[in-house]
Amino acid sequence: MDVGPLPQLVVSGILTGLLFALISVGLTLIFGVMDVVNFAHGEFLMLAMYATFGATLIGINPILAVPVVAIVMFFLGAVVYRVLIRRLLAGPPSAVVFGTFGLLVFLQGAAQYLFTSDYRSIPNLPFQGTLHFGAVNLGEAQLVAGLGALLMTALVFAFVEYTEPGRALRALSEDRVAAQLMGIDVQGMNALAFGLGIACVGAAGALLMLTYQAYPRIGTEFALTAFVVVALGGFGSVQGALVGALLVGLVEVLGGFYISPALKMIPVYLLYLLVVLVRPQGLLGRR
Amino acid sequence: MSAPLLEVRGLAKRFGSLRALDGVDLTVPHGGLTALIGPNGAGKTTAFGCIAGAQRPSGGSIRFEGIEIAGAAYHRVARLGLVRTYQVVQPFAEMTVLDAVTVGALLRRPRVASARDFAATTIDALGLGAKSATIARSLTIADKKRLELARALATEPRLLLLDEVMAGLTPTECAAAVELLRTIVARGITIVMVEHVMEVLMPLADHVVVLATGRVIFDGSPSDAVNDPGVIEAYLGRP
Amino acid sequence: MTVRAHLIALGIVALTLTALALGYHNAFILNLVFAGLIFAVLGQSWNWISGYAGQISFGHALFFGCGAYASALFAARHGSPWLALPAGAAVAAILALLVGFPCFALRGHYFSIATIAVAAIAEIAATNLAALGKANGFEMPILAPGIATLQFSDKGHYVLVALALFVFAQLATLGLERSRLGFYLRAIRLNQEAAASVGVDARAAKLTTYAACGALAALAGSLYAQQALYVGPEDTLGLPISIAIALVGVVGGLSTVWGPALGALVYVALARYGGALLGGQGHGLDLLLYGGLILVIVSWRPDGLAGIGRSIRRALERREARAAP
Repeated sequence: MDVGPLPQLVVSGILTGLLFALISVGLTLIFGVMDVVNFAHGEFLMLAMYATFGATLIGINPILAVPVVAIVMFFLGAVVYRVLIRRLLAGPPSAVVFGTFGLLVFLQGAAQYLFTSDYRSIPNLPFQGTLHFGAVNLGEAQLVAGLGALLMTALVFAFVEYTEPGRALRALSEDRVAAQLMGIDVQGMNALAFGLGIACVGAAGALLMLTYQAYPRIGTEFALTAFVVVALGGFGSVQGALVGALLVGLVEVLGGFYISPALKMIPVYLLYLLVVLVRPQGLLGRR
Repeated sequence: MSAPLLEVRGLAKRFGSLRALDGVDLTVPHGGLTALIGPNGAGKTTAFGCIAGAQRPSGGSIRFEGIEIAGAAYHRVARLGLVRTYQVVQPFAEMTVLDAVTVGALLRRPRVASARDFAATTIDALGLGAKSATIARSLTIADKKRLELARALATEPRLLLLDEVMAGLTPTECAAAVELLRTIVARGITIVMVEHVMEVLMPLADHVVVLATGRVIFDGSPSDAVNDPGVIEAYLGRP
Repeated sequence: MTVRAHLIALGIVALTLTALALGYHNAFILNLVFAGLIFAVLGQSWNWISGYAGQISFGHALFFGCGAYASALFAARHGSPWLALPAGAAVAAILALLVGFPCFALRGHYFSIATIAVAAIAEIAATNLAALGKANGFEMPILAPGIATLQFSDKGHYVLVALALFVFAQLATLGLERSRLGFYLRAIRLNQEAAASVGVDARAAKLTTYAACGALAALAGSLYAQQALYVGPEDTLGLPISIAIALVGVVGGLSTVWGPALGALVYVALARYGGALLGGQGHGLDLLLYGGLILVIVSWRPDGLAGIGRSIRRALERREARAAP
């Protein structure tokens, strides 16, 4: 039986999905712990991409830039939590939505002002070769980015599952009041979760620079995909985000091939609307 | 009029493996005041929630004026004329007293001007007239309870479910509330109320239903209730 | 403010802008005023659902685009856009119901994300459908100017038409605040369960509001298309347009009659220097300032410019009261 380009598409969909997973894990972590939908999530991705671009300009190896950018973004996230998000959480529920939305506009405007609307890519990109596995051809850069994202997602997962602060984060997302009574430092944990979420998206941004170009509005497109992924997996569920991301990656790549590249996002958004209609708690979520 | 105003049969509500209501039967005739009492955790508030439509029952039937309302939408039940108040007051915190009561009055009076007039009359009748321009958030707890009652009354219900409207009131405030309830009943509105303050309730109630661990253990007159060994046991424990 | 004060303010604004439209012939300024009025109407439409009803939409460009494309299609085929106004409004209202129906039963962020997704689908569809002119959009035919074609050679006349829609939107908002629906929306926003307990059908109230605001935004889109004589997917359906509409609403002050107009004034003034108005990419300084303004407002004055104005007025009144013993 000739399966045609299917294996190629599936592998490519999974690699794309792994990057979505890393972005979405950050979003869902923040939502799970402090009930905040971070509408500026994509803008942090954009910032990380510019940061990686800048790092390579001063001669840092793009792979080495991944952990560096992730750590810098972690501290940026913690600071943003302390300065802004904490204040918003004290206000009415809409304050968080408008606040992160304002942050989106602010960061996008700042990027446009400082870096202009031009597309930027890493000079002397590494991993330009192509690997051949039977019928499947893989760009080395795509493979490295996907595997890097898998590694980072696994690290975050291990942190949340097997460390003491990770357990505190899970306790917070399961029952905030009980966690508070048990003496968990909510403000500290929120800052940790926000930093961690932004670190995830930071690592993803650095990895994306292997295959994408940076421009001020790149964040919104990825953020919308991440919202779909998180809704699919159930808001707050880390495992759900991983499953949802792989599904969205496959839908996007297969849709792009079998329908049309220009229309590839339509099935993804329709999937969101379908989930909202049929299974609002997400594929793996509990009601 | 043969059918009772409210007829509950086999009402059940489960939360996971916990049976909050385990086959509750309750009949409320037209007019008068029925007291629903029982120890803490007996399921009184859950029963109110299910009857008023705030919570979906796991089983059983609820007929209001002969119409099945089990599982019906909350606002639909209110439109039929069955309205409840909350044990923990749920005000529209940023509204003035007059506006909050107007929201209730709009149910039967779509025109804002006439709803506002009716709301003002209701507020006066409950002795809140001087505070009609006060923001709900800054009222005392007694006034918040009165506001809650006014908002419910403004919908002109036929059956009012009152959840501990007396809790936290001073004895003077309680006495005033008792008078108020008498005038409401005199206007032909049937009341079912959950209350802990027994001395207040007993002279007021025409009919007492006792709930314990999700079941009805007594249904009869107030004087029989205080002498019923089952009721005494439920409240004081096995002697 | 009393109804009287609102009407006087509206009258002053309307008279001033009418005089400007008829007496001032600087096309650049008149275009800015036109854009300001269109954004004030869009912001007001957004304010109905996201302010009064508390359901935050980040995809309002969908309705704006509906009206714009309806106008362009009708003008191309039938000459007159007059049928396009109700048609675009009706399509927008139906879309609003389709999005709102499943989402209003869920928590707010599902709705917000769904609005972005639906607008994005519409943008991709318009970019790829031949009937909608694909990525290039539509150049509308130039017709004999006049009220029948809603095309004018005098820019001031466009301002008058937009002003009429603005006055309508302001009056409708005044009416909404004092209507049963207005009371219900406030009650739902403050405590949805308590509202339901006294018979308020929250989903129906939100759906009605959302359909109405879809229709209003579509009317604004139609007028915009008539003036620009060009309709393209990015300029009418793009996420930046949705963001701009929400900006106008938040900055001006949610759930206030004049907030969207104030927000539009600030937006147009900043965009005038930032270079981006309805599509096009500016150098970003305007967005930077706008985003910063929102952050300041949300963490310091959630009631926006209108709230700040109210505080200033109260402070002045207090001072007058002290000065005149």
